[in-house]
Amino acid sequence: MLESRGIATIVIGLVRRHMEQTRPPRGLFVPFQLGRPLGEPEDPAFQHRVLAHALGLLERADGPVILEDFPEDAPNWHDTPGWTPPDLPACARPDTPDGWRVAFAAELAALRPAWDAARGRFGRSSVGLTAREPEEWPAICARFLAGETPPIPPIAAPALGLRHLCDDIKALYGEAAQATGRAPSARQVDGWFWRESIAGKMLLALRAVALGSPSNALRTAGGRFFVPAPYLAE
Amino acid sequence: MAHLHDIPQPTRDAVAGLVSPGFDTTPFVTGPPLARRRVAVLSSAALIRRGELPFPPGSAELRILPADTPAGDLLMSHVSINFDRAGFQRDINTVYPLDRLRELAVAGVIGGVARSHYSVMGATDPLAMAETADAVAARCRDEGVDAILLCPV
Repeated sequence: MLESRGIATIVIGLVRRHMEQTRPPRGLFVPFQLGRPLGEPEDPAFQHRVLAHALGLLERADGPVILEDFPEDAPNWHDTPGWTPPDLPACARPDTPDGWRVAFAAELAALRPAWDAARGRFGRSSVGLTAREPEEWPAICARFLAGETPPIPPIAAPALGLRHLCDDIKALYGEAAQATGRAPSARQVDGWFWRESIAGKMLLALRAVALGSPSNALRTAGGRFFVPAPYLAE
Repeated sequence: MAHLHDIPQPTRDAVAGLVSPGFDTTPFVTGPPLARRRVAVLSSAALIRRGELPFPPGSAELRILPADTPAGDLLMSHVSINFDRAGFQRDINTVYPLDRLRELAVAGVIGGVARSHYSVMGATDPLAMAETADAVAARCRDEGVDAILLCPV
Protein backbone atom coordinates (compact mmCIF):
# COMPACT_ATOMS: atom_id res chain seq x y z
CA MET A 1 0.00 0.00 0.00
CA LEU A 2 2.87 2.37 0.72
CA GLU A 3 4.76 1.33 -2.38
CA SER A 4 1.76 2.27 -4.54
CA ARG A 5 2.00 5.70 -2.93
CA GLY A 6 5.61 6.08 -4.02
CA ILE A 7 7.55 5.04 -0.92
CA ALA A 8 9.91 2.06 -1.04
CA THR A 9 9.37 -0.51 1.70
CA ILE A 10 11.10 -3.48 3.26
CA VAL A 11 9.21 -5.82 5.56
CA ILE A 12 10.79 -8.05 8.19
CA GLY A 13 8.24 -10.85 8.44
CA LEU A 14 7.75 -13.49 11.14
CA VAL A 15 5.26 -15.73 9.30
CA ARG A 16 6.50 -16.86 5.92
CA ARG A 17 3.06 -18.04 4.81
CA HIS A 18 1.67 -14.53 5.25
CA MET A 19 4.52 -13.07 3.20
CA GLU A 20 3.86 -15.55 0.41
CA GLN A 21 0.23 -14.43 0.38
CA THR A 22 0.78 -10.66 0.50
CA ARG A 23 3.85 -10.71 -1.80
CA PRO A 24 5.51 -7.50 -0.55
CA PRO A 25 8.05 -5.82 -2.85
CA ARG A 26 10.94 -6.60 -0.51
CA GLY A 27 10.47 -9.11 2.27
CA LEU A 28 12.91 -10.75 4.66
CA PHE A 29 11.49 -13.76 6.46
CA VAL A 30 13.09 -14.16 9.88
CA PRO A 31 12.70 -17.42 11.85
CA PHE A 32 12.17 -15.70 15.18
CA GLN A 33 9.37 -15.96 17.69
CA LEU A 34 6.32 -13.74 17.30
CA GLY A 35 6.95 -10.36 18.89
CA ARG A 36 10.67 -10.22 18.04
CA PRO A 37 11.23 -9.02 14.46
CA LEU A 38 14.86 -8.15 15.23
CA GLY A 39 15.30 -11.52 16.89
CA GLU A 40 17.51 -11.07 19.87
CA PRO A 41 17.27 -8.44 22.64
CA GLU A 42 20.50 -6.80 23.80
CA ASP A 43 22.47 -8.20 20.88
CA PRO A 44 23.25 -5.23 18.64
CA ALA A 45 25.52 -7.30 16.39
CA PHE A 46 22.73 -9.79 15.68
CA GLN A 47 20.21 -7.00 15.15
CA HIS A 48 22.62 -5.32 12.73
CA ARG A 49 22.89 -8.52 10.70
CA VAL A 50 19.10 -8.63 10.40
CA LEU A 51 18.97 -4.97 9.37
CA ALA A 52 21.85 -5.32 6.92
CA HIS A 53 20.07 -8.17 5.18
CA ALA A 54 16.72 -6.36 5.17
CA LEU A 55 17.98 -2.94 4.08
CA GLY A 56 20.24 -4.55 1.51
CA LEU A 57 17.10 -5.50 -0.40
CA LEU A 58 16.76 -1.81 -1.28
CA GLU A 59 19.83 -2.20 -3.50
CA ARG A 60 18.16 -4.93 -5.54
CA ALA A 61 16.47 -4.22 -8.87
CA ASP A 62 15.03 -7.68 -9.50
CA GLY A 63 11.54 -6.96 -8.16
CA PRO A 64 8.64 -6.55 -8.10
CA VAL A 65 8.52 -9.28 -5.43
CA ILE A 66 11.65 -10.26 -3.50
CA LEU A 67 11.35 -12.72 -0.63
CA GLU A 68 14.51 -13.73 1.18
CA ASP A 69 15.12 -15.99 4.18
CA PHE A 70 17.36 -14.82 7.01
CA PRO A 71 19.78 -17.69 7.59
CA GLU A 72 20.34 -17.48 11.34
CA ASP A 73 18.32 -18.50 14.37
CA ALA A 74 17.99 -16.15 17.31
CA PRO A 75 20.66 -17.52 19.66
CA ASN A 76 18.63 -17.48 22.86
CA TRP A 77 15.40 -18.99 21.61
CA HIS A 78 15.85 -22.00 23.92
CA ASP A 79 15.41 -22.00 27.69
CA THR A 80 18.31 -20.71 29.78
CA PRO A 81 19.69 -23.47 32.02
CA GLY A 82 19.90 -22.48 35.65
CA TRP A 83 17.72 -19.41 35.33
CA THR A 84 16.24 -18.52 38.72
CA PRO A 85 13.06 -16.45 38.87
CA PRO A 86 12.51 -13.86 41.58
CA ASP A 87 11.29 -15.22 44.91
CA LEU A 88 7.55 -14.95 45.49
CA PRO A 89 5.88 -15.23 48.88
CA ALA A 90 4.22 -18.57 49.52
CA CYS A 91 0.47 -18.13 49.40
CA ALA A 92 -2.57 -20.37 49.13
CA ARG A 93 -4.97 -19.58 46.32
CA PRO A 94 -7.37 -16.90 47.67
CA ASP A 95 -11.10 -17.48 47.41
CA THR A 96 -12.51 -14.01 48.00
CA PRO A 97 -11.95 -10.68 46.20
CA ASP A 98 -10.37 -9.22 49.33
CA GLY A 99 -8.20 -12.30 49.69
CA TRP A 100 -6.93 -11.75 46.14
CA ARG A 101 -6.32 -8.07 46.94
CA VAL A 102 -4.22 -8.88 49.98
CA ALA A 103 -2.26 -11.69 48.32
CA PHE A 104 -1.60 -9.72 45.11
CA ALA A 105 -0.50 -6.66 47.09
CA ALA A 106 1.92 -8.80 49.11
CA GLU A 107 3.34 -10.36 45.95
CA LEU A 108 3.77 -6.97 44.27
CA ALA A 109 5.56 -5.65 47.34
CA ALA A 110 7.87 -8.65 47.35
CA LEU A 111 8.60 -8.20 43.66
CA ARG A 112 9.26 -4.47 43.90
CA PRO A 113 13.03 -4.70 44.45
CA ALA A 114 13.41 -6.90 41.36
CA TRP A 115 11.27 -4.54 39.29
CA ASP A 116 13.30 -1.55 40.50
CA ALA A 117 16.46 -3.43 39.54
CA ALA A 118 15.03 -4.17 36.09
CA ARG A 119 14.21 -0.53 35.48
CA GLY A 120 17.74 0.34 36.48
CA ARG A 121 19.23 -2.33 34.28
CA PHE A 122 17.19 -1.60 31.18
CA GLY A 123 16.88 2.15 31.71
CA ARG A 124 13.16 2.09 31.09
CA SER A 125 9.92 0.29 31.81
CA SER A 126 7.12 -0.81 29.52
CA VAL A 127 4.58 -0.57 32.35
CA GLY A 128 2.13 2.32 32.08
CA LEU A 129 -0.73 1.67 29.68
CA THR A 130 -3.30 2.38 32.40
CA ALA A 131 -1.35 5.21 34.05
CA ARG A 132 -2.21 3.59 37.41
CA GLU A 133 0.54 2.95 39.96
CA PRO A 134 1.13 -0.69 40.93
CA GLU A 135 -0.02 0.09 44.47
CA GLU A 136 -3.48 0.81 43.02
CA TRP A 137 -3.75 -2.44 41.07
CA PRO A 138 -4.85 -4.86 43.82
CA ALA A 139 -7.88 -2.79 44.83
CA ILE A 140 -8.92 -2.31 41.19
CA CYS A 141 -8.66 -6.03 40.49
CA ALA A 142 -10.62 -6.85 43.67
CA ARG A 143 -13.48 -4.66 42.51
CA PHE A 144 -13.70 -6.53 39.20
CA LEU A 145 -13.45 -9.85 41.05
CA ALA A 146 -16.40 -8.71 43.17
CA GLY A 147 -18.46 -8.19 40.02
CA GLU A 148 -18.08 -4.42 39.71
CA THR A 149 -17.07 -2.81 36.42
CA PRO A 150 -15.26 0.38 37.43
CA PRO A 151 -13.60 2.54 34.78
CA ILE A 152 -9.83 2.89 35.06
CA PRO A 153 -9.32 6.54 34.09
CA PRO A 154 -8.20 7.81 31.67
CA ILE A 155 -9.46 4.71 29.83
CA ALA A 156 -13.23 5.17 29.82
CA ALA A 157 -14.40 1.64 28.99
CA PRO A 158 -14.00 -0.69 32.01
CA ALA A 159 -13.37 -3.77 29.85
CA LEU A 160 -10.59 -2.02 27.95
CA GLY A 161 -9.14 -0.63 31.14
CA LEU A 162 -8.97 -4.07 32.72
CA ARG A 163 -7.56 -5.54 29.54
CA HIS A 164 -4.68 -3.04 29.61
CA LEU A 165 -4.23 -3.46 33.36
CA CYS A 166 -3.59 -7.14 32.63
CA ASP A 167 -0.85 -5.99 30.23
CA ASP A 168 0.67 -3.72 32.87
CA ILE A 169 0.68 -6.54 35.42
CA LYS A 170 2.34 -8.96 32.99
CA ALA A 171 4.88 -6.30 31.97
CA LEU A 172 5.93 -5.62 35.56
CA TYR A 173 6.39 -9.32 36.25
CA GLY A 174 8.17 -9.85 32.94
CA GLU A 175 10.61 -7.04 33.67
CA ALA A 176 11.19 -8.25 37.23
CA ALA A 177 11.86 -11.76 35.93
CA GLN A 178 14.64 -10.40 33.72
CA ALA A 179 16.18 -8.09 36.30
CA THR A 180 19.39 -9.99 36.92
CA GLY A 181 21.60 -12.60 35.35
CA ARG A 182 21.31 -14.21 31.94
CA ALA A 183 18.10 -13.63 30.07
CA PRO A 184 15.42 -16.28 30.52
CA SER A 185 13.58 -17.45 27.44
CA ALA A 186 10.16 -15.98 26.79
CA ARG A 187 8.69 -19.38 27.62
CA GLN A 188 10.43 -19.40 31.00
CA VAL A 189 9.07 -15.94 31.83
CA ASP A 190 5.54 -16.91 30.81
CA GLY A 191 5.66 -20.26 32.57
CA TRP A 192 6.80 -18.66 35.80
CA PHE A 193 4.13 -15.98 35.63
CA TRP A 194 1.19 -18.24 34.79
CA ARG A 195 2.09 -21.27 36.88
CA GLU A 196 3.80 -19.81 39.93
CA SER A 197 2.58 -16.30 40.62
CA ILE A 198 -0.56 -15.21 42.43
CA ALA A 199 -0.94 -12.56 39.73
CA GLY A 200 -1.18 -15.21 37.01
CA LYS A 201 -3.78 -17.14 38.96
CA MET A 202 -5.64 -13.90 39.64
CA LEU A 203 -5.79 -13.10 35.92
CA LEU A 204 -7.31 -16.53 35.36
CA ALA A 205 -9.86 -15.73 38.11
CA LEU A 206 -10.57 -12.36 36.49
CA ARG A 207 -11.14 -14.14 33.21
CA ALA A 208 -13.67 -16.45 34.84
CA VAL A 209 -15.50 -13.48 36.37
CA ALA A 210 -15.46 -11.63 33.05
CA LEU A 211 -16.90 -14.59 31.19
CA GLY A 212 -19.86 -14.56 33.58
CA SER A 213 -20.38 -10.82 33.38
CA PRO A 214 -23.55 -9.26 31.96
CA SER A 215 -21.22 -6.88 30.10
CA ASN A 216 -20.65 -8.10 26.56
CA ALA A 217 -17.47 -6.03 26.33
CA LEU A 218 -16.06 -7.60 29.49
CA ARG A 219 -16.97 -11.10 28.32
CA THR A 220 -15.18 -10.46 25.03
CA ALA A 221 -12.12 -8.90 26.65
CA GLY A 222 -11.89 -11.60 29.29
CA GLY A 223 -12.41 -14.43 26.86
CA ARG A 224 -9.83 -13.30 24.34
CA PHE A 225 -7.38 -10.88 25.89
CA PHE A 226 -6.55 -11.74 29.51
CA VAL A 227 -4.91 -15.17 29.34
CA PRO A 228 -2.94 -16.63 26.40
CA ALA A 229 -4.55 -19.75 25.01
CA PRO A 230 -1.69 -22.13 25.90
CA TYR A 231 -2.22 -21.41 29.60
CA LEU A 232 -5.98 -21.91 29.58
CA ALA A 233 -5.67 -25.63 29.20
CA GLU A 234 -3.48 -26.07 32.27
CA MET B 1 14.46 -22.47 14.21
CA ALA B 2 11.28 -20.61 15.15
CA HIS B 3 8.93 -21.48 12.36
CA LEU B 4 5.19 -21.84 12.27
CA HIS B 5 5.44 -25.32 13.72
CA ASP B 6 7.24 -23.94 16.78
CA ILE B 7 4.32 -21.74 17.81
CA PRO B 8 2.30 -23.43 20.59
CA GLN B 9 -1.23 -24.51 19.86
CA PRO B 10 -3.88 -23.20 19.53
CA THR B 11 -2.06 -19.99 18.55
CA ARG B 12 -0.32 -21.82 15.70
CA ASP B 13 -3.58 -22.68 13.98
CA ALA B 14 -4.91 -19.17 14.57
CA VAL B 15 -1.81 -17.61 12.98
CA ALA B 16 -1.75 -20.08 10.12
CA GLY B 17 -5.43 -19.53 9.46
CA LEU B 18 -5.21 -15.76 9.21
CA VAL B 19 -6.04 -14.78 5.67
CA SER B 20 -3.56 -12.19 4.48
CA PRO B 21 -4.76 -9.89 1.74
CA GLY B 22 -3.39 -10.32 -1.73
CA PHE B 23 -2.94 -7.37 -4.09
CA ASP B 24 -3.65 -7.11 -7.80
CA THR B 25 -0.65 -4.94 -8.51
CA THR B 26 3.01 -5.25 -7.59
CA PRO B 27 4.43 -1.72 -7.42
CA PHE B 28 8.18 -1.57 -6.94
CA VAL B 29 9.66 1.83 -6.15
CA THR B 30 13.31 2.34 -6.95
CA GLY B 31 15.48 5.05 -5.46
CA PRO B 32 18.97 6.22 -4.57
CA PRO B 33 21.66 3.93 -3.17
CA LEU B 34 21.14 2.78 0.43
CA ALA B 35 23.86 5.15 1.63
CA ARG B 36 21.71 8.07 0.51
CA ARG B 37 18.37 6.78 1.81
CA ARG B 38 16.59 8.29 4.78
CA VAL B 39 14.78 5.48 6.58
CA ALA B 40 11.68 5.44 8.78
CA VAL B 41 10.30 2.58 10.87
CA LEU B 42 6.68 1.50 10.87
CA SER B 43 5.79 -0.90 13.68
CA SER B 44 2.59 -2.91 13.91
CA ALA B 45 2.99 -3.21 17.70
CA ALA B 46 0.48 -0.43 18.48
CA LEU B 47 3.25 1.60 20.11
CA ILE B 48 2.07 4.69 21.92
CA ARG B 49 3.77 7.46 23.79
CA ARG B 50 3.39 7.28 27.56
CA GLY B 51 0.32 9.26 28.55
CA GLU B 52 -1.56 8.60 25.32
CA LEU B 53 -4.60 6.35 25.28
CA PRO B 54 -3.87 2.83 24.01
CA PHE B 55 -5.00 1.88 20.52
CA PRO B 56 -8.61 0.65 20.66
CA PRO B 57 -9.06 -2.88 19.27
CA GLY B 58 -9.71 -2.79 15.54
CA SER B 59 -8.40 0.73 15.17
CA ALA B 60 -7.00 1.79 11.79
CA GLU B 61 -5.46 4.92 13.24
CA LEU B 62 -1.87 6.02 12.92
CA ARG B 63 0.37 7.12 15.76
CA ILE B 64 3.37 9.22 14.89
CA LEU B 65 6.46 8.60 16.98
CA PRO B 66 8.96 11.47 16.85
CA ALA B 67 12.49 10.13 16.58
CA ASP B 68 13.53 11.91 19.74
CA THR B 69 10.91 10.17 21.90
CA PRO B 70 12.80 8.51 24.77
CA ALA B 71 12.57 4.72 24.72
CA GLY B 72 11.13 4.84 28.21
CA ASP B 73 8.16 6.81 26.92
CA LEU B 74 7.12 4.16 24.41
CA LEU B 75 4.59 1.51 25.42
CA MET B 76 3.08 -1.39 23.52
CA SER B 77 -0.73 -1.49 23.32
CA HIS B 78 -1.28 -4.25 20.76
CA VAL B 79 -4.51 -6.12 21.41
CA SER B 80 -3.06 -9.60 20.90
CA ILE B 81 -1.71 -11.50 23.89
CA ASN B 82 -0.28 -14.31 21.79
CA PHE B 83 3.16 -12.94 21.02
CA ASP B 84 6.22 -12.34 23.17
CA ARG B 85 6.71 -9.10 25.10
CA ALA B 86 9.79 -10.15 27.10
CA GLY B 87 12.11 -9.16 24.26
CA PHE B 88 10.50 -5.72 24.02
CA GLN B 89 10.70 -5.33 27.79
CA ARG B 90 14.40 -6.10 27.73
CA ASP B 91 15.38 -4.12 24.64
CA ILE B 92 13.09 -1.89 22.62
CA ASN B 93 15.24 -2.46 19.54
CA THR B 94 13.91 -6.02 19.39
CA VAL B 95 10.71 -4.42 18.07
CA TYR B 96 11.56 -0.84 17.16
CA PRO B 97 15.21 -0.68 16.03
CA LEU B 98 15.80 3.04 16.09
CA ASP B 99 19.12 2.82 17.94
CA ARG B 100 20.41 0.39 15.33
CA LEU B 101 19.31 2.67 12.49
CA ARG B 102 21.08 5.61 14.11
CA GLU B 103 24.26 3.54 14.27
CA LEU B 104 23.89 2.66 10.60
CA ALA B 105 23.48 6.34 9.78
CA VAL B 106 26.61 7.27 11.73
CA ALA B 107 28.49 4.51 9.92
CA GLY B 108 27.29 5.82 6.57
CA VAL B 109 25.45 2.62 5.68
CA ILE B 110 22.19 4.55 5.32
CA GLY B 111 21.79 8.20 4.52
CA GLY B 112 19.86 9.10 7.64
CA VAL B 113 17.08 8.35 10.08
CA ALA B 114 13.68 9.94 9.66
CA ARG B 115 12.38 12.60 12.03
CA SER B 116 9.08 10.71 12.35
CA HIS B 117 8.30 7.04 12.73
CA TYR B 118 4.97 5.27 12.79
CA SER B 119 2.89 2.70 14.57
CA VAL B 120 -0.37 0.97 13.77
CA MET B 121 -2.46 -1.79 15.31
CA GLY B 122 -1.27 -4.86 13.49
CA ALA B 123 -4.44 -6.84 14.18
CA THR B 124 -6.49 -4.46 12.05
CA ASP B 125 -7.34 -5.39 8.47
CA PRO B 126 -4.71 -3.64 6.33
CA LEU B 127 -7.31 -2.96 3.66
CA ALA B 128 -9.00 -0.60 6.17
CA MET B 129 -5.80 1.45 6.39
CA ALA B 130 -5.86 3.34 3.09
CA GLU B 131 -6.06 6.71 4.85
CA THR B 132 -3.28 5.65 7.20
CA ALA B 133 -1.10 4.75 4.23
CA ASP B 134 -1.92 8.12 2.64
CA ALA B 135 -0.86 9.93 5.81
CA VAL B 136 2.39 7.98 6.18
CA ALA B 137 3.34 8.49 2.53
CA ALA B 138 2.57 12.22 2.67
CA ARG B 139 4.62 12.72 5.80
CA CYS B 140 7.51 10.71 4.37
CA ARG B 141 7.53 12.88 1.26
CA ASP B 142 7.47 16.03 3.41
CA GLU B 143 10.40 14.78 5.48
CA GLY B 144 12.48 13.50 2.58
CA VAL B 145 12.11 9.86 3.61
CA ASP B 146 12.59 7.38 0.82
CA ALA B 147 12.39 4.00 2.57
CA ILE B 148 10.20 2.54 5.28
CA LEU B 149 11.23 -0.47 7.30
CA LEU B 150 8.07 -2.39 8.24
CA CYS B 151 8.42 -4.30 11.50
CA PRO B 152 5.38 -6.46 12.23
CA VAL B 153 5.23 -8.33 15.52
